[in-house]
Amino acid sequence: MAARRDAIDLSVSFAGLRLKNPVIAASGTFGYGTEYRGLAAAFGAIVTKTVTAAPRAGNAPPRLCETRSGMLNSIGLANVGIEAFLRDKLPALAGCGTVVIANIAGNDVAEYGALARRLDDAPGVAAIEVNISCPNVKQGGAAFGADPAAAAAVTRAVKRATALPVIVKLSPNVSDIAPVARAVAAAGADALSLINTLFGMRIDIERRRPSLGNVTGGLSGPAIMPVALYHVHRACRAVGIPVIGLGGIATAADAVEFMLAGAAAVQIGTATFVDPAAVRSVARGIAGYCRRQGLSRAAEITGGLRC
Amino acid sequence: MAVVSNRMIRPDVGRVWFRSRALARQARPGQFLHLRVPDANAAILRRPFSIHDVVGDRIAILYRVVGDGTRALSALSAGAPVDVIGPLGIPFRVMPSRPPLVVAGGIGIAPLQFLLRRMTARGLHPRLLYGCLTRSALLPHLAVTRAVTTDDGSCGGRGLVTAALAREIGRRPGAAVYACGPWPMLRETARLCRERGVPCQVSLEARMACGVGACQGCAVKGTAGYLTACHDGPVFDARTIDWDQGVAV
Repeated sequence: MAARRDAIDLSVSFAGLRLKNPVIAASGTFGYGTEYRGLAAAFGAIVTKTVTAAPRAGNAPPRLCETRSGMLNSIGLANVGIEAFLRDKLPALAGCGTVVIANIAGNDVAEYGALARRLDDAPGVAAIEVNISCPNVKQGGAAFGADPAAAAAVTRAVKRATALPVIVKLSPNVSDIAPVARAVAAAGADALSLINTLFGMRIDIERRRPSLGNVTGGLSGPAIMPVALYHVHRACRAVGIPVIGLGGIATAADAVEFMLAGAAAVQIGTATFVDPAAVRSVARGIAGYCRRQGLSRAAEITGGLRC
Repeated sequence: MAVVSNRMIRPDVGRVWFRSRALARQARPGQFLHLRVPDANAAILRRPFSIHDVVGDRIAILYRVVGDGTRALSALSAGAPVDVIGPLGIPFRVMPSRPPLVVAGGIGIAPLQFLLRRMTARGLHPRLLYGCLTRSALLPHLAVTRAVTTDDGSCGGRGLVTAALAREIGRRPGAAVYACGPWPMLRETARLCRERGVPCQVSLEARMACGVGACQGCAVKGTAGYLTACHDGPVFDARTIDWDQGVAV
């Protein structure tokens, strides 16, 4: 029997969070949540741009380069720093109409802990996403995400510093994501999010120069979706904690694939650049999928893969 | 928003007119439209285009065909729907008490046509200095008093438009400069204006993703740190730009 049109419950609950729908704005693609006016409320949650202890100017331009079905970025974690974030950016999100997850990155383990402590009692922050997977910074970044022991150390430091749910964002730039996922879960992470961007580069052949000022960057967009899905599938089989899937999701069908593979929720990022309304069509399409499949709740999609 | 007309006005430059009452009403010179061009050979990002002109409820952009996105744009025919975000960005700030000197280089005429139209509508008398490589590269523009330069001397004075600017600044005390064009032209324009104490606004371009200041992708180096072309610009006070280290696309 088909569910009634108004009966689909899109809400998902995991890691102590309750989201009105499973579509989250990915860090770095949604600024500090106010740049896309009025759009935050359409998301189940938003993840703010990675914030570091000190302000960061970011990498030399050009910072963007388009690729077939994707884009490279080498922003370099340009951000206002934790103090300005708490003072100027976070208050502006009061009443934004959705759950706010703050994303952090440190130069070392202690700095991750210090950032988490600063956010612990910050009004309006529902969870912390820990970026151990930025491909565009020299210190920290993806280096933590590539080493299970380092990833676990960062996770422990953050967990000790905060009572908020901790989501650790993993890098795809590893030969096997399962050991990192297991190490982070064992260290106490409440959830994982994956994947961050894939290392990539392009060359301007006429000038014989790298297309990006930083030479290399991180690849995102539909081009990486099957790679991301593979890593999410592996991570979901490796750990028992909730997984948030991301990487190239542009349509509801993409999102459903990630949820079938085991993701409790999804993030979209580059899709928002292409079409700011993508969040609405993805959420609507997930409801449509539930209707076709006779499900009453989006959460029932999670882990529904038959294999 | 739908295409009203789309045609090549030079072998490599097209002009497309759209109909949108709302955009035409809101648009201000210097702002841009962030266009999504379908079927652009797997190119996914939107492309920013300066608003070239507004007449009634029609709004135009100029484009040079350089890659997959602009090639797809050139193929749009009348009636085709176009997905657009805009108008976006900081517009030119017209200084009505100062005689306007409008400096264009090549396809840099794109945002300046609209500026010239609004200036003349306000009863200002802008003087256009328009530099191009050669006569055939000159693009159509509003009939205002003007001086043309071409690098090869095939039309107007031979040489760079910035040489003409150096002369004109002296003849127009209290002028304000509004410029768009290639980076070296803008850098020299900014230098001349600074030297003579003339206010100067420049329209810059950079590769963009979000168009609204969220991604920090279109960074331009300013004198006090990076600025975003989409949100802090695309029109900047020339004094806020680091002309030595700033990188144009």
